[in-house]
Amino acid sequence: MSFLMKRRRRNWSIFTPSPVGMVLSYLPLLGWAFVVLFPLYWLVVTSLKLPIDVDSGPFYVPFVDFKPSLHAWHYIFYDLRNDTFRPYWNTVVVSLTSTALALSLGSAAAYALTRFTYRPRLGAILTFMGCAILAIIAVNLRVPWQIAVVAAIALFIILLTTIGRRFKRALGNNDIAFWMISQRMLPPVAVVIPIYVLFQRLDLLDTWAALIITYVAANLPMVVWLMRDYFQSVPIELEECAAIDGASRYRTFWSIVLPLSLPGLVATFLFVLVFAWNEYLLALFLTSAKAQTLPLTIAAQNATRGPQWWYMSVLILIMIIPVIGMAIALERYIARGLLIGAIKG
Amino acid sequence: MKRHLALTLGLLVALSLIVTACGGATASPAPTSPPQVVEVTRIVAGTPETVTLQVTAPPPTEAPMKYAGVTVNVLTFTGPQIAEPLQRHGPEFEALTGAHINVNIVPFSDLYQKALTDFATGTNSYDIIVFDPQWMGDYVSAGYLEDLTDKVKSDKTIEWDDIGPFFRDFSATYEGRVYTIPLDGDFHMIYYRTDLIKEPPKTWDDYVALATQFQGKDLNGDGKADYGSCIAMARSQQSYWFISSVASAFIQSQGTGQGAFFTTDTMQPLVNNDAFGKALDIYKTISTLGPPDQLNLNVGDTRGLFTSGRCALSMDWGDIGPLATDKTTSTVIDKVGAAVLPGSKEVLDRATGKLVPCDEKTCPYAIDGVNHAPFAAFGGWSGAINKASKDEVKAAAFDFLAYVSAPAQSNVDVTIGKTGFNPYRTSQFLNREQWVESGMSAVAASNYLGAIEASLNSPNMVLDLRIPQNQYYQQTVLDTAIAQFLAGELDKAATMKQIEDGWNAKTDELGRDTQLAAYKATLGVTK
Amino acid sequence: MSVADRTQGPTPRGSGLEPPSALSRSLDALAARLNRRAGTAFLLPGVLVVLFLSIFPLIVSLYISLVRLKFVKGGFELTFVGFANYAKLLVGIDHVHFLGLLANPSPLGWLVFGLVVVSQVVLLVQYFRTGKVSVAGTVGRIVVALGVSAGAWLIVHTLSPAGRPGTVVVTLLYVFVGIIVQYLLGLGLALLCAQHLPGRRFFRVVFLLPMMITPVGVAYLFRMLTDTSKGPFYPIWNALGLANTSWVTNPWGARAAVMIGDIWQWTPFMFIVLVAALESQSVEPVEAAVVDGASRWQIFWEITLPEILPVSSTLILIRLIEAFKIVDLPNVMTNGGPGTATESLTLHAYTIWRTLDIGGSAAVAYMLLLIVTFIGVAYANLIRQRLVERA
Repeated sequence: MSFLMKRRRRNWSIFTPSPVGMVLSYLPLLGWAFVVLFPLYWLVVTSLKLPIDVDSGPFYVPFVDFKPSLHAWHYIFYDLRNDTFRPYWNTVVVSLTSTALALSLGSAAAYALTRFTYRPRLGAILTFMGCAILAIIAVNLRVPWQIAVVAAIALFIILLTTIGRRFKRALGNNDIAFWMISQRMLPPVAVVIPIYVLFQRLDLLDTWAALIITYVAANLPMVVWLMRDYFQSVPIELEECAAIDGASRYRTFWSIVLPLSLPGLVATFLFVLVFAWNEYLLALFLTSAKAQTLPLTIAAQNATRGPQWWYMSVLILIMIIPVIGMAIALERYIARGLLIGAIKG
Repeated sequence: MKRHLALTLGLLVALSLIVTACGGATASPAPTSPPQVVEVTRIVAGTPETVTLQVTAPPPTEAPMKYAGVTVNVLTFTGPQIAEPLQRHGPEFEALTGAHINVNIVPFSDLYQKALTDFATGTNSYDIIVFDPQWMGDYVSAGYLEDLTDKVKSDKTIEWDDIGPFFRDFSATYEGRVYTIPLDGDFHMIYYRTDLIKEPPKTWDDYVALATQFQGKDLNGDGKADYGSCIAMARSQQSYWFISSVASAFIQSQGTGQGAFFTTDTMQPLVNNDAFGKALDIYKTISTLGPPDQLNLNVGDTRGLFTSGRCALSMDWGDIGPLATDKTTSTVIDKVGAAVLPGSKEVLDRATGKLVPCDEKTCPYAIDGVNHAPFAAFGGWSGAINKASKDEVKAAAFDFLAYVSAPAQSNVDVTIGKTGFNPYRTSQFLNREQWVESGMSAVAASNYLGAIEASLNSPNMVLDLRIPQNQYYQQTVLDTAIAQFLAGELDKAATMKQIEDGWNAKTDELGRDTQLAAYKATLGVTK
Repeated sequence: MSVADRTQGPTPRGSGLEPPSALSRSLDALAARLNRRAGTAFLLPGVLVVLFLSIFPLIVSLYISLVRLKFVKGGFELTFVGFANYAKLLVGIDHVHFLGLLANPSPLGWLVFGLVVVSQVVLLVQYFRTGKVSVAGTVGRIVVALGVSAGAWLIVHTLSPAGRPGTVVVTLLYVFVGIIVQYLLGLGLALLCAQHLPGRRFFRVVFLLPMMITPVGVAYLFRMLTDTSKGPFYPIWNALGLANTSWVTNPWGARAAVMIGDIWQWTPFMFIVLVAALESQSVEPVEAAVVDGASRWQIFWEITLPEILPVSSTLILIRLIEAFKIVDLPNVMTNGGPGTATESLTLHAYTIWRTLDIGGSAAVAYMLLLIVTFIGVAYANLIRQRLVERA
């Protein structure tokens, strides 16, 4: 593999700008860096202010403009420690778990979509939808859901084996991929109550499992789309060599393809983690006390009597610090991650 | 390196699958004493036999706890208002009775449907909800709340008769039965700077004149121009109550039973007439006499502005009184006065839709020729009990609510601004010492409580809307139209028509007769 | 479902020196069978998970959009009302809120509309000229042409001086302006960062930060920042004489504030992906071009841009789908704006949903789904393919 590593070291000399170019480049970069960092600085400063300092108009520098106070930090970490640490722990567990699962299932699916050709028959899909609708109607008519689901599956299999041969018209890989990403089109507010009812029937409300399953299903399409582009660039010759040597597809995927795509995996991991970490609406509905996550605590700082900026700033800061830490640590992978066409022939 | 990483990834995936599988048992379960194994000899059919039994040791307390082992789940919105006193009293109650109180919180804007979805789908994770009694129309008609009428009459701790008659007979009841226990008293008043204004405004025209006088002057000595009036006019916040506060003085004059939202014969909305039009004009004028982003402010912002001395006038619930005495937030300690909502010298003639001047017939409750109609906005946070909970839990829940509402606890809580509890018991008005102890000066306490008393005792108090789906009427239709009117998207006539059409469409959808019956039932204050 | 391998299958192992035992033969057979089924094994778990959480909620929420919820004794009841919820949005009480207030467009508006219609006709003609015409393709393209023209008609009529845009047009505004600015900004920053500048890594990390903050947090942050009386920019407003006006009480000012927040938050997404794409370009063509004497601009336009087009198109599609769901910024910053000025479609659905009118809310959500699907499919089929082919 070493010859591949060597090719990655690029000769950047043609991209080194002249001194004038350097100055011209630094100006917008520094400008945007200020635009990014100033709001974060304001967050830190606000978390150190007393309510009266916030209401009386802008004060910028602690010790110079105003007297900083740790009351907000004390309140969040001490007075509310259970209400802060429990959601924090829940967020960490749920995000990491769902991201790991989404990555494994999603990259497997993405790999499959680039290496295999699928031709799902349109008729089969329509039959499946029909059976699903029948099952849902049955459940609505008070049939116990276990019976309805089993009956629907049985019906589907029967129909498929009997009239299945008739279906000719088929879709392709791109359609499957598009179907996956189209799951993200509907805003969560529309599906939140059905999902709530679904998990209630399964007795999984207010558990980690409910959130994890939902986040995996919601973020898997993202993994598939991001990794697909990447897997397409891993040369197929490597896998063919491995196959000739007698390795199974699974072995090839695990030992050859995945390690080569590690940067892409890491980058996708970070993206999906951020999505799961920050999700609000589904967490609001699927949890009540035990499994509550941190975005709920932040939104909840807006009491009916008005937002309490100082507490909110503290919460936002403790929420982004671990993610920022992870981003800094993984940054070198991110840039080289999502390498598209990295190893061009 | 790759091997290790692959291994780590694999371990992570395996771990995550295990975690998901065990996901059912998340937080630490309620601690129970470990069962002990005991050998017992008993005689079965004449022959002795030794049997081992498992016995759970009783909790290590001296006296038997009334509700030992019972957990009560409470749902309310994130505080600290309302949630903080509940969280504080929980352990106290547990020490007394052994019942464990679990306070769950959600953001305020999501409280309504979180609770309703929980009850409607049969999940029943909550035993108590501390909520807005306006929502009773939906919860009671669907049968989710426990009838508490007999319990409140027989219970000793709650001192039901001490609760102000308005909250006792109206806020807590629906169709004659009691469903909630009041924990807080809510209605609107105006606040004014006593160092700037000697006489509080009696009519809304006076209010506008005073606001005009102070708009743009520096009121707190920091060199920046300040504002005449600060009212929370942001959309989807509290604005729809404030417009009702302005309008009710023009619309209701014959006492509480007359109602201020619909006619009591045909359920016609009282929003497309000269009275509401005049109120809209006044509200729009006031919106120009305040901070430039007043259309984006909610009560948190306006309270902050008022207590940092930037407003001459404000309209709000009872919170500003205690907040103004808090040294960490207020620069106007002892400079704040409270008064009954301003009234009007003209009222609506419902037959013609026009305004007529006040006299003995049209305004029987007028004070000095001015008709006041204090608006009990929101109704006061109250606790209700889930009918589907177990009986034992319901008993514990009732006792907890009675404990929190009892004068011993409540009278202290209402003096602390952070709790969000405002006075609602007669003993809380009469007993001025507690207020002085909490930091209010005697004069300020007198003034503040006097205004509350005057509002509560007014026979022309306006009851907030409590018919089924009032959320839709107020939060969706009224609030959106007012926001559009203030922003200039709609003119006055279009605004009134939009509200009327929206309300009528919903009334017809739900059934005009049922809505009318519900409306009349809520107005039937029997005292 | 048939699966065709794109690589050769494995050849059986064993050098033939020892006769394979029965056990090893059956294990081999099992392994071979599993290997043939690899296509299914890789894809099926993922598909099942997504299917599990999409079938039931989608169908049920579609049903919900056709009913009305009412609370009655003993619980609640759902009354089937057909398309009444949709009718309310398109022609009924809510149509001004949803579609906007229609008014006669200005001359500029007519010009824009005319240009759009003409361009659609030209594209159609071009398609027919290629000769590779199919029924599906024709129908698809005609639908797209009609849809785009209808959208243009709506936009032009509601953005005219006397009109007022409804939530549909406001959302389209957020999406398109947002994506264009985010992409250009991201590309510019990425080009700058792809150069060999000292301190590049610092910028790369810093520029990544805004995306990490939870959307609700970003919304509250910007609410603090845009406050003209307490916010940090007060001295600037004061100096400009704006201390007594508030830009969030002006419809366009409020929309601008929301868009600025959105751009601040999501430019990192574009930036990071584009940086990676730029850094992974192959060097040889660029070196050859430099030797041939091409200018920086020519190198960018002829070599770099085509190489990053496929990535860009995926990026834009993903961001397009997410951008339509914008809700936290308008909700927290302005509660939907002065009046309804900044209300997006998801916020519209959310405010209706808060009062448990789930039927109305589901109807708005499905209208949103319709619009996003239309734009997504049109984009994926027409534009994206062209970009990928060009690369």
